[in-house]
Amino acid sequence: MKHERVETNAGLLIILTLAVISVGGLVEIVPLFYINDTVEEVEGVRPYTPLEQRGRDIYVREGCYTCHSQMIRPFRDEMLRYGHYSLAAESQFDHPFQWGSKRTGPDLARVGGKYSNEWQVQHLIDPRSVVPESIMPGYPWLAENDLQYADIEARLRALRRVGVPYSLSEEEYQANVERFGEEVARWLDISRAEENLVAQARAGNYDGDPSRITEMDALVAYLQVLGTMVDFTQYDEGYFVEFR
Amino acid sequence: MLDLWYWIADLSNSKIVALLLFSTTFVGILLYVFTNRHRTERLESYRYMPFEDDEDKVPHGEDGKK
Amino acid sequence: MAQSATIPSSQAGATAVPTEQYNYEIIKKFAIMAMVWGVLGMGVGTYIASQLAFPFLNFDIAEITFGRFRPVHTTLVIFGFGGNALFATSYYIVQRTCQARLYGDGLATFTFWGWNLSVGLGVITYMMGFTQGREYAEFVWPIDILITVTWVAYFWVYLQTLLRRSQPHIYVANWFYMSFILATAILHIFNNLQVPVSLFSLESYSLFSGVQDAMTQWWYGHNAVGFFLTAAFLGMMYYFVPKQAGRPIYSYRLSIIHFWALVFLYMWVGAHHLHWTALPDWVSTLAATFSILLLLPSWGGMINGIMTLSGAWDKLRTDPIMLFLITALSFYGMSTFEGPMMSLKSVNALSHYTDWTVGHVHSGALGWVAMITFGSFYHLFPRLWNTKLYSLRLVYVHFFLATIGIVLYITAMWVAGIGQGLMLRAFDEYGNLAYTFVESVVFLHRPYVVRAIGGGLFLLGILIMAYNIFMTITTARREAARVEAKIGAKMARASS
Repeated sequence: MKHERVETNAGLLIILTLAVISVGGLVEIVPLFYINDTVEEVEGVRPYTPLEQRGRDIYVREGCYTCHSQMIRPFRDEMLRYGHYSLAAESQFDHPFQWGSKRTGPDLARVGGKYSNEWQVQHLIDPRSVVPESIMPGYPWLAENDLQYADIEARLRALRRVGVPYSLSEEEYQANVERFGEEVARWLDISRAEENLVAQARAGNYDGDPSRITEMDALVAYLQVLGTMVDFTQYDEGYFVEFR
Repeated sequence: MLDLWYWIADLSNSKIVALLLFSTTFVGILLYVFTNRHRTERLESYRYMPFEDDEDKVPHGEDGKK
Repeated sequence: MAQSATIPSSQAGATAVPTEQYNYEIIKKFAIMAMVWGVLGMGVGTYIASQLAFPFLNFDIAEITFGRFRPVHTTLVIFGFGGNALFATSYYIVQRTCQARLYGDGLATFTFWGWNLSVGLGVITYMMGFTQGREYAEFVWPIDILITVTWVAYFWVYLQTLLRRSQPHIYVANWFYMSFILATAILHIFNNLQVPVSLFSLESYSLFSGVQDAMTQWWYGHNAVGFFLTAAFLGMMYYFVPKQAGRPIYSYRLSIIHFWALVFLYMWVGAHHLHWTALPDWVSTLAATFSILLLLPSWGGMINGIMTLSGAWDKLRTDPIMLFLITALSFYGMSTFEGPMMSLKSVNALSHYTDWTVGHVHSGALGWVAMITFGSFYHLFPRLWNTKLYSLRLVYVHFFLATIGIVLYITAMWVAGIGQGLMLRAFDEYGNLAYTFVESVVFLHRPYVVRAIGGGLFLLGILIMAYNIFMTITTARREAARVEAKIGAKMARASS
């Protein structure tokens, strides 16, 4: 084909350009969906509970990803500072992923359980009252706003549609029992979403105010579960390296 | 032949495959653009396209009326 | 001119737009909105830079905290300023190099409203807390749909105008714009595959998760840089540099080669944003390799632009607009060298997650994208209003403010990024970490102050430009009114 034809034919120029720009994306993205090794098989990773998922929604809403990553790299300093490097499996239920691209603050991939609920609440309301050098904004409104959870079922349904195994039918519920155990399967039951959310917030009392369920309850519940799902003592280090 | 196909389909070879594909196409375009003198002249003539509407001599729009 | 001469004179009044050879009204609208969003976006940028240096500036007000304000900044400057500048210049260039009037006045006007409504609604919704949580694609799903419709209209207008051209060859600047339109469409659609919570909810969840979602997002993210902020602005360069220099582009053949190489290579490199993450190694190695190769077409473009001035370097001494254009190309060359270097896995291990990346983005965004736009706009505005620039001296002032601002900005970010990277990986003699995270935050304070000052100078520069443009347009209008009055008086005298 003569290049002259390309230069003088707008349609041909468009088709060729489309072909050329498609190659890179096809070669790099499509295999990620069908190569099984992309996401490793690990025990313990489960979808978020309704309360944790609402916390995650707030994490996204406030743009936490603009300053915090959730992706620990396999370096000595990062593993000393944050813990075991992140696995692909650990974000398999994250819609959207929140790996982040900038650490103005520290990585949060394994922040769960590192600090008490009281510390998290105090730090979120006024960061400099616990870390004087911090440059993080305060989020006092999280403790003031009641958590909106009227649409929690719709949210879990939407997540189910994109592939998170929240259960609608008895069949799906049984599958979850098999995959995650009975206790987790109950948390993932969409018909019990609201009841579960309220129960977890009451039992956890994350924001220190048992009288109401606030956005703080949800966000702290989410932060406290981050990175805690996999028990790394069960695995030989060599196992994960195979997937990299 | 089948071996070759397996080698290409193996993703750990994708870097080499991609480089080969890219470089042959690129060399092809280079040869096309720089080898033929007539083509060179034709292509370089397009450099003047932005000047063909010589706006700076004739202001737009209103001149049609005069 | 022949076209306009054939039109009946009864319709040739100043307001009867379709009778003019070119549709300049639509370009004027886009160009002015680019300036408006530019001032706002750079203002917000300076503000969030100050928040990092002085965190009390968050004032505990949800709408303006850094996390919500940062997407406001990126959206305003990339899609507001950059996007409108690209609409304006592409509509100008496609008309002038095809010597044909823009297709579909109504459809073109629709692209103007669709685009600017999207930007405006986008930043308002971010401040209210509605976001997709994907960098540079934070728009909620209804706005995504509006953008898609607008973009299809843009494609159609552009294509139909190309088909109206009066000669067979399509000038290379249009290739760059066309590739930008096509690539942006593909990227936008695939990175915004979402399932809404409900039909009346602004919130949604992404179709992909984890690794696949990360790869899709950074395939999008880097090509937003590659096609939106690079290829399209190269199109701008391929028209305005030769025009302003009064000389044709250095080599047309080079432009063909580096066009195909650039559009091919860019799509491969997004994964270099995910080095050392849970993304499989083969993808990031592939991305790093192509990132290095990308240096060649990038520099092809830079050389082609700069060498256009070969033999006429003295223009730099007398023409501040040329200064803008050539400095932009120099920054383009610099940041397209820095980029491949940072995509090497060993360098990336240090630079990733730090302010070095932020500095790199801004040497491209301020140094290349904004500077080439400023230069092109100083060329474009007087021609749109058929007048002269109000003040060349203010162009010089703008140029020096902008250049000093960029230099302060990127050096501060080098210090901040490399400094923090080294601190975080330092060990003491016992093999423990030498610094806590917050110690590195303390270290960042001074570079952050310098960066905010640099950004402030750049903002001051665009404010001066806005004043200069405002005065240019006002003067042109006053002039036009005076001429009209004179003609009116003459006519009245003749008829009496």
